[in-house]
Amino acid sequence: MKICALIRMVPDLVEELEIDENGTEIYPSMYIANERDEQAVEEAIILKEKHGGTVEVVGIADDEVSTEIDEPLAMAIAKGADKAMKVNLSRPTYKRAELAKALAEFLKEREYDLILTGIQAIDGFAGMLGPMLATYMGLPYIGNVVYAELKDDHLLVRKELEGGVIGEYKVKLPAVIGIVSAEKPPRFVPFAKLRQAMKSAEIEEFDLDVPEIEGLEVERYYEPPKPEIVLIEGEPEEVAEKLIEVMKEIGVL
Amino acid sequence: MRMDADSSMQDTYFERLSEIPNSDKYRQCLQCGTCGGSCPYGIATPFTPRRMILAIRANIIDELLESGAQWLCTSCYTCSYRCPSKIPLTDGIIPALRELSLLEGNPPEELAAALVNIARYGNPFKESPRKRINWTKELDFEIKILSAKEKSTDVLFIPECFGAYHRRCKEVTKAMVEIFKILGVDFAILGNDERCIGDLTRLSGEFGLFEDLVEKNMKVMSKYEFNRVVTIDAHAYHALKHEYPKFGFDKPVYHHTQFLAENLETLKSMFNELDYTVTYHDACYVGRRNGIYDEPRNVIRAILGVKFVEMKRIRENALCCGGGGGGVWLDSFIKEHLQERPAEDRVREAAATGADVLVTSCILDIPMFEDALKVTGLEGQLVVKDISELVLEALK
Repeated sequence: MKICALIRMVPDLVEELEIDENGTEIYPSMYIANERDEQAVEEAIILKEKHGGTVEVVGIADDEVSTEIDEPLAMAIAKGADKAMKVNLSRPTYKRAELAKALAEFLKEREYDLILTGIQAIDGFAGMLGPMLATYMGLPYIGNVVYAELKDDHLLVRKELEGGVIGEYKVKLPAVIGIVSAEKPPRFVPFAKLRQAMKSAEIEEFDLDVPEIEGLEVERYYEPPKPEIVLIEGEPEEVAEKLIEVMKEIGVL
Repeated sequence: MRMDADSSMQDTYFERLSEIPNSDKYRQCLQCGTCGGSCPYGIATPFTPRRMILAIRANIIDELLESGAQWLCTSCYTCSYRCPSKIPLTDGIIPALRELSLLEGNPPEELAAALVNIARYGNPFKESPRKRINWTKELDFEIKILSAKEKSTDVLFIPECFGAYHRRCKEVTKAMVEIFKILGVDFAILGNDERCIGDLTRLSGEFGLFEDLVEKNMKVMSKYEFNRVVTIDAHAYHALKHEYPKFGFDKPVYHHTQFLAENLETLKSMFNELDYTVTYHDACYVGRRNGIYDEPRNVIRAILGVKFVEMKRIRENALCCGGGGGGVWLDSFIKEHLQERPAEDRVREAAATGADVLVTSCILDIPMFEDALKVTGLEGQLVVKDISELVLEALK
């Protein structure tokens, strides 16, 4: 089985986000691999371990993250992926449709049996890359997947449904699937092993034109006003009295 | 596949051991069992240190790793301390086994997350490295942060990760710098350039990460002039004193208990009376590991009004809090194997002395014991204070 896993970079929320004056751009000070995509990489490697085959990871990069993405790509190699590729987008885009359209041709040429992607990325919060990619490629898509195995000529996947129910589905290959979490937590890679992979991994690079798809524009990004937090301090009796005052003020008493 | 995995595992293991001084002494193991009998997890683990050595000799390391026994160790050093053959169990045999688990990619999750965070952010809490100095903003005075403009100081103070970020542990850091201020000490911190000193990464078997941290911290420290290091973190103290010198670090390092003892005459003249009954917990990396037993006791006893009582297990026989060697990140793993954690046992022992204050000197003791007080229902009867907090209280 020839498996592909996609990796996107997203803002690392450990550092605060900055929004530009016009409110139309977000400037993160640090990027990190999208967590769900790391789950997709893990599931890809688990599938390879179960059924054989190869895993190729494709990192999606614009100018902002073209260096940063090398680390998660090397990490995937250290975990057991066979090949790492990086596609450099001609311009950054938040539109998943544009990204999907750009990637579709590139991925089609490589004739994967299975393409795995994280169910969503925290920057767009759309959950759309997988479904749109499948549409452009003319392949089936299933999301919210937590387990996959090869059974005869198809893939058997499990997805989480509401109400504590698990759905089991037969998926004809080739297909695109969206991963919530891998069967097991992503494996740990010791520091020295990652460093070694960063030195030795050969990352093949490709330039990719991002097509324009109209109909959607950012109006503004902004932070909603933060609710005021008041800490009531003092002896229990005082605190209780003040709390009653506050409750009367806001009308719950 | 298993066979291949085993032989390469064995090779990796012995290669690592060969880099750790005296580790070939495992061949001299008498199988006396002193280690297992001394281990806080001895009754719970399928492989005591003695049985670990047996497994290594019998070439069944994979069975050992599968049992998870390598994580049932809190690096308390009691086994190594008592071993008649002086086998480096805590520094060699066990971390090298842990390294194999890390290479297999499946260490306990909380520990793995802490290690990943340290590698990425320089602290285990997934906090911004740019917020490492935020604790200084909680002081009502300014302190010196070394930089291109301020390049020298007498004392370089290392708060380390818990002291810089942990909500409760920051209080200890703040107490210590206030004592510096009262004593008129010329001190400074590395600011946001300080990274995890890394002793727990080393003891967790993440040797590559430890070396990286040593390299980065030494590079930062080399930019400045200072005469000595003082730290409130027992593990940072140990690593800076015994491990960093292997990489060329050559400055004198003091644990804050030593620093307080050194300044005791001056402090004494300023002490007010405190009405406490106090017992002292000998932290592993202060006491057993580094022989600092009398300094903290002398400081506590010098405070007027304090009644000092000893626990049953003291000095080299003190029971570990369970936080060391990555134990602070193995809580849920350990809880699966053990009904009562060492910290719970220890606070019961402390309460039995009749003390109302349990004084500690290792930063990990604070979260471990305060949690144990809640679990055991002893909260309210006994409070945990670092020695610097007790001293500052006596100064105020």
